[in-house]
Amino acid sequence: MTQRRRGRPSLSQNTSRLQGGDMDMEEDVSFTQTLTQAQRNLEKHSPEQISLKVGELVQYLLIRDQKKLPIKRADIVKNVVKEYKDIYAELLLRAKKALLEVFGFQLEEIDTKAHIYILINTLERGEGDDLKVNDNTAKLGLLTVILSLIFMKGNTAKEVAIWETLRRLRVDPGERHEDFGDVKKLVTDEFVKQKYLEYNKVPHTDPPEYEFRWGPRAIKETSKLKILEFVSKIQQKDPKSWVTQYRDAQEIPRSQAPRASTSARS
Amino acid sequence: MSSRRSSIDEEHEENHMDGDFEVEQDDGSRRQIRHQYRELMQNMQQNRDDMLSSRSNKLTDTLQAANQLFAEVFKPREAALDAQLLVLATNLGKEKASQLQADMTVFDPTSFAEDLLSFMGINRLENPDSDSEDEACAKGYLGADAWKKLGTEAEKYFKRTPTFHFMLGSFKTEPPIVRQKTDRQKRTSKVAEKKVMPAQLKKMEESHQEATEKEVERILGFLQTYFREDPDTPISFFDFVIDPNSFARTVENMFHVSFIIRDGFARIKLDQDKLPVIEPINQESGSQVDIDNQPRYQGVISLSHQDWKEIVDTFEITEPMIPPS
Amino acid sequence: MAISESHQRFLQILMSHGIMEASAVRKLHKHCCEVHKVHYMHDKLDDFVDVINKHLQPLFMQIRKGTDENDGRRYYSLVNIAENEVTKMAMDYAENELELFRKAMDLIIDSDNGFASSTNILNLADQLQSKKMKKKEVEQLLQNFVQDKWLIERDGEYSLHTRCLMEMEHYIQSTYQDMVKTCNICHNVAIQGQVCDNCGIKIHLTCVEKYFKGHEEPRCPQCAEGWSQEIPRLSQTDSPVPSTSQKETRAGQRKAISVAASTRSRRS
Repeated sequence: MTQRRRGRPSLSQNTSRLQGGDMDMEEDVSFTQTLTQAQRNLEKHSPEQISLKVGELVQYLLIRDQKKLPIKRADIVKNVVKEYKDIYAELLLRAKKALLEVFGFQLEEIDTKAHIYILINTLERGEGDDLKVNDNTAKLGLLTVILSLIFMKGNTAKEVAIWETLRRLRVDPGERHEDFGDVKKLVTDEFVKQKYLEYNKVPHTDPPEYEFRWGPRAIKETSKLKILEFVSKIQQKDPKSWVTQYRDAQEIPRSQAPRASTSARS
Repeated sequence: MSSRRSSIDEEHEENHMDGDFEVEQDDGSRRQIRHQYRELMQNMQQNRDDMLSSRSNKLTDTLQAANQLFAEVFKPREAALDAQLLVLATNLGKEKASQLQADMTVFDPTSFAEDLLSFMGINRLENPDSDSEDEACAKGYLGADAWKKLGTEAEKYFKRTPTFHFMLGSFKTEPPIVRQKTDRQKRTSKVAEKKVMPAQLKKMEESHQEATEKEVERILGFLQTYFREDPDTPISFFDFVIDPNSFARTVENMFHVSFIIRDGFARIKLDQDKLPVIEPINQESGSQVDIDNQPRYQGVISLSHQDWKEIVDTFEITEPMIPPS
Repeated sequence: MAISESHQRFLQILMSHGIMEASAVRKLHKHCCEVHKVHYMHDKLDDFVDVINKHLQPLFMQIRKGTDENDGRRYYSLVNIAENEVTKMAMDYAENELELFRKAMDLIIDSDNGFASSTNILNLADQLQSKKMKKKEVEQLLQNFVQDKWLIERDGEYSLHTRCLMEMEHYIQSTYQDMVKTCNICHNVAIQGQVCDNCGIKIHLTCVEKYFKGHEEPRCPQCAEGWSQEIPRLSQTDSPVPSTSQKETRAGQRKAISVAASTRSRRS
């Protein structure tokens, strides 16, 4: 096991976060460490034990990803890390490295305050990549339609408008669907839990109206430009013909700025 | 096109200025040209929608055809038709351009839904009793895999990770329900009856089996002898099976000892150091052991050449407890 | 060979299917090499998979090769090899659904022909210790098990899919022990197979075909009585190595002895 002597960015970030929210205070104390403290903690455990823990952590992350549910740091500590809490940062770093190296999966933080993670793919889907097709594939189709409607209509869409269009596709919130079952639940609950969509009440509306926005997972897994390309393909038009949307899709959000070192994997 | 036209006009003018010069053109071909012009114009009017569609190049094609025709025009009558066609085409062009601008800014969810249905492979049927309250544009049958087809296309636009699924370890191991033992015992007694081996050995397997049985018996004999001499000390498994002179014989010993354990003549336990020890089991009734009612645990041990050497050194084994046959 | 994107793509696609036929896997190997512009050699699939497995080992996962009990078709599957607190948190099936699966497995292994009828499995639903299930739910659940390739269905009866056997081989042997028959020829668990009328040993259909090939008078390898059942005639392109999964298990168990060896060295 190589002992890394250089400063670890994740740890130094933690030390500066001591002024975090009150709820985090107690948690943060164990996550904020000086470099020497971290070193000493590592040495408390044997290399085999650490290796085993990293393996378990990777398993845990893959299991949580089964249902595409975001992963909370608190759960990671409670269910996997447990008494190895003092080296949490190192464990997570190694798990992240393993996921990237072996599977090509990137562990992304979608909520830096509450420390919530998802897995996204570093490999681009190409022609001939015959992935298994199942119910989740159908659900993705539905989700993409909704994301398209939201984006093309200016990044927010009223719930009633969404259902109006979906009805044309034989998808009705009042009826049980062949592929989706309880569609209303799928769209307003499952997709929201998975962080694909945000479902918010429009203030000062009575009876209450709701609107949809893209969720943080959608922002990471796809992009405005990609969805514009999808719409363009379906409608057989040039993406540039949607002038407003095309311009909107050109703004690169900070979270999606291209990472320089994607290919340089040591 | 306009530049070409002006050069021809110039030519015409020049011709007229000369006064006497006139192009030879018979009435038949002139009539044909006028006919073709009228056809083009009729076509434009009848296929108006098609011409207007942003997906169609028919308008351009029509103008190109008109260009070619104009090469044959030398008289005012035909030229007038050409001008007429141009007016029609210009109007269409203007309308098409304004429509293009509308396409550029407005996203129409209805049209999007229509295109989605087409992509998913909707089967549009002629339905005379179509429901007037039906919001869907046309009655049609959406196939079973329609959404899966759309989803497969959608995957290309996402950086989604595939998911890992497994069964092992997802539930707690529990002892299975023990079934009625009657059938089993029936079979074992059958075997006992037919235990007489045929006099003539036809197969290699049979003679091999006999040799194995002999060896197993021999080893069991040694085990029982050692234990009779010193009943209170359990024998270390490795001390027993290891032959310090031959790795191959060690493996064979382990193989034969496994039969002894399987048939219930001996058992393996772990001592206080968690090391395996072997001890024979007292037999009550002949050779028939109540195999089925004993609690059983399966243990698998494999040994590499390296392991064997290490054990010989660590345990300081100098002589085999099972002498070679 | 260092691990690279071609390996990752291969692993990702195999992961999404869970189990793939050897012919499809060969195509996949080619595809992944081509996409990532890696030199493709058709006979280097084993090396390619070994590289991935080396990296999967510390994560308690493995790409295993296996054979169908009946037709001898070769498969590759990505399996889990750990049983711990974390694996119990798997989210595909609820606790009562897994209990039903376990009990169905009991029935299947205990049966003579390796199949359990849907009626018998439905009856199990009433005996569940965890949340009870309605008939319709059980039917849907069985359908899901088949779709996910844990069970196979034939004429309303259910048995274990090759995928299940490939992952659970060792578990089945250690949990069921004498209750489960192992094939007399390849020594792997035998759920479906032919049984000797006389001594009761069981042989996979595919092993029967290989072992008795060309024999005029097939005889039981154990008791030498005539083999009364029909010897299947299957055509096979792959060379027969039935005990592949056993080889894998032995390799994995070498670890046990080296750990024991290190314990012993402390003794002196």
